[in-house]
Amino acid sequence: MLKLDHIQKSFDGVPVLRDITLQVEDGEIVSILGPSGCGKTTLLNLILGIVEADNGTISYNGEDLTHMAMEKRGFNIVFQDYALFPNLNVYQNITYGLRNKPNISSKEEVEDLIDLLGLREHLTKRVDQLSGGQKQRVALARTMVMKPRILLLDEPLSALDGVIKESIKDRIKTIAREYHLTTIIVTHDPEEALTLSDRVLIIDKGNISQYAKPEEIVHQPKNDFVRKFILNQLEIKRNNIYALFGDMTQLAATM
Amino acid sequence: MKHKNWELKLIFFLIVFLFAAFLAAPILLLLGKSLWNQGFTGEFYAAVLSQKGFLEALGNSFTVAAASAVLASLIAFLMAYAVHYTGLPQKMKKAISAIATLPMFLPTITYGFAIIYSFGKQGLLTRLLGRQFFDIYGFGGLLVGYVIYTVPVAFLLIHNTMDFVDKKTLIVSKVMGDKTLSTFWIAVLRPLLGTLAGAFIQAFFLCFTDFGIPASVGGGYEVIATLLYNQMLGGIPDFNRGAVIAMIMLIPSIGSICILQILERFNIRYNRISNPELRKNTARDVGWGISSSVISVAILSIFAVIFVVPMVEEWPYRTAFSLEHFVAVFSDSELLSVYVHSLLMAVMTALLGTLTAYGAALIVARSKLSAGYKKTIESIALVTNAIPGMVLGVSYLFLFSGTGLQNTLLLMILCNIVHYFSTPYLMMKNALSKMNAGWETTAMLMGDSWFKTILRVVTPNAMSSLIEVFSYYFINSMVTISALIFIAGARTMVLTTMIKQLQYVNRFNEVFVLSLLILATNLGAKALFSWMANHKFVKKEKTNAKQKENFKRA
Repeated sequence: MLKLDHIQKSFDGVPVLRDITLQVEDGEIVSILGPSGCGKTTLLNLILGIVEADNGTISYNGEDLTHMAMEKRGFNIVFQDYALFPNLNVYQNITYGLRNKPNISSKEEVEDLIDLLGLREHLTKRVDQLSGGQKQRVALARTMVMKPRILLLDEPLSALDGVIKESIKDRIKTIAREYHLTTIIVTHDPEEALTLSDRVLIIDKGNISQYAKPEEIVHQPKNDFVRKFILNQLEIKRNNIYALFGDMTQLAATM
Repeated sequence: MKHKNWELKLIFFLIVFLFAAFLAAPILLLLGKSLWNQGFTGEFYAAVLSQKGFLEALGNSFTVAAASAVLASLIAFLMAYAVHYTGLPQKMKKAISAIATLPMFLPTITYGFAIIYSFGKQGLLTRLLGRQFFDIYGFGGLLVGYVIYTVPVAFLLIHNTMDFVDKKTLIVSKVMGDKTLSTFWIAVLRPLLGTLAGAFIQAFFLCFTDFGIPASVGGGYEVIATLLYNQMLGGIPDFNRGAVIAMIMLIPSIGSICILQILERFNIRYNRISNPELRKNTARDVGWGISSSVISVAILSIFAVIFVVPMVEEWPYRTAFSLEHFVAVFSDSELLSVYVHSLLMAVMTALLGTLTAYGAALIVARSKLSAGYKKTIESIALVTNAIPGMVLGVSYLFLFSGTGLQNTLLLMILCNIVHYFSTPYLMMKNALSKMNAGWETTAMLMGDSWFKTILRVVTPNAMSSLIEVFSYYFINSMVTISALIFIAGARTMVLTTMIKQLQYVNRFNEVFVLSLLILATNLGAKALFSWMANHKFVKKEKTNAKQKENFKRA
């Protein structure tokens, strides 16, 4: 279980995170949702260990991580732009970590991951021959080889288009379930957050606005921010889609 | 929990030490020399300013440098325009680019001699065309030499910006009903204004501080560079006055770099490169084809003598083909050892210089070191850009005379690294900052140390830029003379300083053979480096392809 306790962070005197306290259960998918500049990326960097908190503590299963170096925490991240190494091919990218820790994953485990993420046919390709969705899966595989205690995903879907988005969503869910992996996702898209995760952490101006299950957020929004900026967007989308389908069913009925 | 970054800090302090010892210290000493005579004094400045001919030489320098810079920018613009905005055949465009940048592979001192042998009384062009066009010793000769010298730089700057200017604005302007001239202004000239001004300033700076051309064709038309040389190494040397002249030469140099910094902000930035089909226009293409051919032939014809003169028995009296001058040079062990020195110096400069630029760029583009570190590096790069080679050479003469470093190859290598640092650093910084920001974090999470990440990920992906930087340092070391003329010793002579030596004894055949040797070496090196950059490490082309792909998707 990951625990953040009264976390505060400022940059050059400007508070970015004011007072964040939360828990993430093992195997849970949690989305951090908020508009740009709300502090969600800072929160992710804090958990990963790139940034150190000004105040408060971070612990995992009772172990205090607050001052532990990033590479010792055993967490791992997939960046929004994937950060694949273009001088290496797909397979070399996936197995990059094995050069430093040869025993962290067995041969079979790596092969399983390759199949699970559907990368078998791309293994010898260069990174720049891949589509966005394929790159995302390679980055995911590369990270999973390291067997992270927590998987962090920074805007994993924002660079992908329609259908690919849904399939990557499924992969993420599958991985979290198969490996019982705690997964924390940063996103600015309410639809993504509410359909992908077990719980959603909505952040507004450095504070937790609401932290709850998706259905709870939809039916019991805690405040105006959640109602106006999160739910309103979804309602517009729903109405648009209803309007679209509604017209078409009418059309179909007249024919 | 913070990673201590000790590796980067070590690199930082090494770089700071290098530039403190070989840039700051000598320049401060130079300043001291110009102001100190048992106490602060302005007497040397007063003496120099009232010296007969000084103000005239300064004025001459300004006039001829400005005139050359205008002409060079104009010619460079015409050539770049032909490459980017016309339907000329691809091969012709390549030839134009190659000819525009060709002079870079030769030392400036060679241009001077090429002009003498082309336009002089017995010159190749004079004989071919039957009359002498202008007096080559003085303004005319300097102008031609400077223009040839600075066309490549101006061309590269303009060419580069034209690459990024959005060509679709041409179409937009046309469909909005603009007349030809309005289109030219809004879609071509306006976006290029900053660059054109930059090209002018850069060319001006180069002309103002060049030594090689006035050394050969200056004649009685004194410029500040020849004045400085004579004051330091002439018949009656006066080091204090030399220091003053060097300081005065520094002022316009610093001024031009400041203007360049300001101009930077006026440059219009386009994110994407787009190359829509240009409209078919035969008149335009023929026109540009002819004009750029004329310019190209003019440049080539001036260099033709370098090939002709050493390959005949005795120019201009016995013009039968002969290789005796080549044989003479290659059997002269002294000249050969000079060539070996040059090569050694160029390779070592390129190697150490590339490492220095790489380290500096890593600190600025790919580290979390605080702003103070980064600003220090940036200022170093800016200062090296503003210091003319001659000034650096004179200051080394003051600081290192009598030390173990005097006249050593090591000092010459360090001098070149410092002198040319700015461009390689910017090239590296550019390349590194374009790379994915997540690599170091990702690799570290995979268990890499900082050093391993640099070795396994950053360096392989930066390889084509590293090779480019290496090539830049190598070629410039092969052709530079302005600083080395003051610090090369009898036993550390390189080709360019040897050419200056040979000029005294009128051995021009050897001058041209050595120039050809430099040209051949540089072209060979360039070919090798481009082959390495493109063949072995194909990253660059792929990123270009990727940019296009992104554009299509958007």
